[in-house]
Amino acid sequence: MLSRSAEGLYWLGRYLERAQHLSRLLRHQTEALVDRPVEEIHFGWLRIYGSLNRQPPVGSLELLAQDAYSLADSYTLADDLTFEPTNPDSVWSGVASGRENARHVRHCLSAEMWTCLNRTYLRIQGLTIQDIWASTPERFYAETVAEIDTFAGVTAATMYRDEGWRFLNLGRSIERVQLSSALLHAHITAAEGTQDVSEAAWTGLLRLYHALEAYNRTYSLAVEPRQVLDLLATDARLPDSLSRSLDMLSAELAAAAPSPNDEAAGAAQRLMGRMSALVNYAWLDRDDPRSLLRRLNAHGRELHDLVTETYFHYPVHDAPLR
Amino acid sequence: MDFNDYELDGRIYDEMFHADGSARSQYQGVHTALTGTSATDLADIQDQVTGSFSSEGISFKVYGDEEGDERIIPVDCLPRVLSGSEWSELETGLTQRLKALNLFLSDVYGPARIVEDGVIPVDVVRGCPQYRIEMRGFQAPHGVWVAICGTDLVRTNEGFKVLEDNLRVPSGVAYMLANRKAVKASFRRLYRSSRVQDIEHYGRVLLTTLQELAPEGTSDPAIALLTPGVYNSAFYEHMFLAREIGAELVEGRDLLVDDGVVYMRTTAGLRRVDVVYRRIDDDFLDPVVFREDSLLGVPGIMHAYQQGNVTLANAPGTGVADDKSVYAYVPDMIRYYLAEEPVIANVETYLCRNPQGLEYTLDNLQNLVVKRVGESGGYGMLIGPHASPAERHEYAEQVRANPADFISQPTLALSRAPCLIDGGIEPRHVDLRPFVLHGRKTRIVPGAFCRVALRKGSLVVNSSQGGGGKDLWVLEN
Repeated sequence: MLSRSAEGLYWLGRYLERAQHLSRLLRHQTEALVDRPVEEIHFGWLRIYGSLNRQPPVGSLELLAQDAYSLADSYTLADDLTFEPTNPDSVWSGVASGRENARHVRHCLSAEMWTCLNRTYLRIQGLTIQDIWASTPERFYAETVAEIDTFAGVTAATMYRDEGWRFLNLGRSIERVQLSSALLHAHITAAEGTQDVSEAAWTGLLRLYHALEAYNRTYSLAVEPRQVLDLLATDARLPDSLSRSLDMLSAELAAAAPSPNDEAAGAAQRLMGRMSALVNYAWLDRDDPRSLLRRLNAHGRELHDLVTETYFHYPVHDAPLR
Repeated sequence: MDFNDYELDGRIYDEMFHADGSARSQYQGVHTALTGTSATDLADIQDQVTGSFSSEGISFKVYGDEEGDERIIPVDCLPRVLSGSEWSELETGLTQRLKALNLFLSDVYGPARIVEDGVIPVDVVRGCPQYRIEMRGFQAPHGVWVAICGTDLVRTNEGFKVLEDNLRVPSGVAYMLANRKAVKASFRRLYRSSRVQDIEHYGRVLLTTLQELAPEGTSDPAIALLTPGVYNSAFYEHMFLAREIGAELVEGRDLLVDDGVVYMRTTAGLRRVDVVYRRIDDDFLDPVVFREDSLLGVPGIMHAYQQGNVTLANAPGTGVADDKSVYAYVPDMIRYYLAEEPVIANVETYLCRNPQGLEYTLDNLQNLVVKRVGESGGYGMLIGPHASPAERHEYAEQVRANPADFISQPTLALSRAPCLIDGGIEPRHVDLRPFVLHGRKTRIVPGAFCRVALRKGSLVVNSSQGGGGKDLWVLEN
C-alpha cells in the first residue's frame, strides 16, 4: 500500500489509543473528585502529568490544605488535559488528530469506521470544560472511552485484513506500550513521593487496567505494589498488560510487508526482541522496575523511528522496483 | 403539502409544472407523493438527508473562508425528474459534443486545420491562456484528450442549452452519487415505484474508461488518482472516487519518475503506475514543464507521458477547448468535424475581443451576464440585471481595459424546480452537470449533479456561492 496511507493509518491508531488512554485516566480522576481525600486527588494529577511529561498550567502541583483549592485546580487541569488545543496530548487533540489522519486515508477505512469516528469528533467538537463539568464529567470521559472501544469493534468487524489493518494495529500497539510504560513509571514515582495514599493508589491502578478481579483471584485481597506491577507487566491474559501489548506489537511487526529497507527492518526486529525480553525475562529478575520501564519507553521511541524508516520514509535510490 | 402558493412564471420554465399548473408527466409520481406528505414529514426527510451528509462528512472547502475548514454542501431533498426521452436526447447531444471537442484538441495541437480553414480565428486559440504550447505535436493515446467531462446544462423555455464544458478536472460526481444515496433512502416507496435509472455503477464505468486508456501492452494497469491533497475543495470527491475504483489516492510527493517511468512509493518499495487520473490543474502537474514553483506536482511526469509510459486523464492542455471564448465556436466545430448540426444548443455568446461584441456588451450591460474568460466557479462575473449602476460602471471599465478577457451572454431564465424552503415548497433556479466518460467509446451514467441556487431569485448555483445540490432522477422509458 501507499507509504503515506500506511503512515496515516499508523498515526490514526496511535492518536486514538492516546485519546482513549487519557480519557480512562480522567474518568478515574474525576470520579475521585467526588469522595476521595485530597491527597489521593493530588496523587492522581501528579501521576497523569508525570506520565505525559508535561508541566501543568497552574505551575507546580502543590498539595494545598484546603479542598476548595484542589477542586478549583482540578477544573483547570481537566481543561488542559481534555480540551486544550495547544496540548498535543489532550483528549481533543487526540480525537481531532486521529480524525484528521482518518480523513487523509478515508478511502482505506470502511464506511462504518469513518462514520463512527466522525460522530465522536462531531460530539466533542463543540464542547468546553464548562459543558462537561456542570453535571458529571466522568460521564463524558466514559462515553469517549466507550466510543473509541466501539471504533475498535467496528474496525474489527468491518475492516479488510490487508496492510492497512496491520499498520493501524501497529500504531495502536506501539502507542499502548509507550503509554503503559510511561504510566507505570509515573505511578511508581508519584507513589514514592506521597504518603497515606499508597494502598488506594495501587487499587486504583488495578481498576484502571480492569485488573482488580484478576488480582484478587491470583494473589490476595492485600494489595502488594510488587505483585500489582507483576500482574500489569507480565500477565498476558490481561488485555492491556505490557506483555500482551508487546506480543501484539511483535505479531504486527512480523506480519508486515517485506520492507524496501532491509537494514532498518532488521534493526526493528532485533529491537522488538529486546523489548519483549525486558518484560518477559528481565522483569522477574529486576531490582529496579523504574529503570526497566524507562528503557522500554526509550526503545519504543527508537522502534517508532525504525518503523518510519522501514516503511514510510525509506531512501528511494536503492529501493526495489515492483 | 399543497402547491396552491407555488409561484409559476410563464417566462421561466418550471421543471414540475406546465404553464397551466398541471404536473408534467414525469413528475406525476413525485407530485402525488408530495401532495400526500405532511409538512412535518417532509421536514423530517430533509433532516435525515442533511444529517446523513453531516455524519458521512460529505464536505467541500470554500477558498478564502477563514473559519470553517470543511463545509457540508446544502442538499435539497426534493428530486428533480427528467423523462427517459429527455435524457436520451441529452445523451446524444453530449456524446456528439465531446467527440467534436476531442477532435478539436487533436487538431489544434496538431495540423490546426480548423484555424487554417478559417472556422476559428487563430488568436482565439493561440491567445487562450490554456493553450499549452508544450503539447504541440503530441498525439493523445487513442485520440482521447478528454476522458472525463462534466458539462453544465441549463434549461429555458427554448429547451436545453450547454452553459459550459468542463474539460480539465470537472468535479461534482461524488455529490451526484451521495445525493442519490441519501434521497433514495428517504423516499423509499416513491423511489421504487418511480422506476429511476440506476447511477451507482459510475465507479465501474470510470474504472473501465481509465483501463481502456492505459498504455499499450499493460495487462492489469495500476491506476492512481492524483489529488492536490486534503486542503483541496474537492478532496472528499477524490477520496470517494479512489475508493470506488480501487485506485491509490496519491499526492505529488508520493510519485517519482525514474527513466521515464512513473512510480509510487509503497510500503513494499516503488511500484509502477500506468494511469494517472489527475485532479490537479495543468499548471501544477509538473514543475519541470509548467509552473516551477509547484509543490503539488511530479517532476518529470510530462516526460513520462510524452514517452507513452503513463496515461494522464485528462490530458494537459484540454483547457483550450473549454475556454469561454472558444466555447462560442463549439457549434461550428461540431459542423466542421462531424458534419452534423449540434443537438444541444449553445447559449448566445458575445466575444468582447470582437469590436461588435464589445460594443454590444457595453451597450446592454444591464441585460447581460459578463464573465471573465479565465475564471470559473462563479467568480469574477457580473450579473447585469442584479448589479448596481456603480458596479456596472466599474465592471465596464475593466472590460474596456482588457476586452479579450471577457465574454457576455444574455441573462438566462434558468428553469426552476420545487425545493423545500422554510417548511414550504418554492421554486428555485437549477442547472445540471452530467458526466461524460470517454475511453474507447463514450459512456454516460443517466444522472447528474443538479445544482440549485437556494437563495430566492438567485441565478448562481455554484456551491462556493450559496448553491446547493439536488438528486436528479432519470426515469426509465
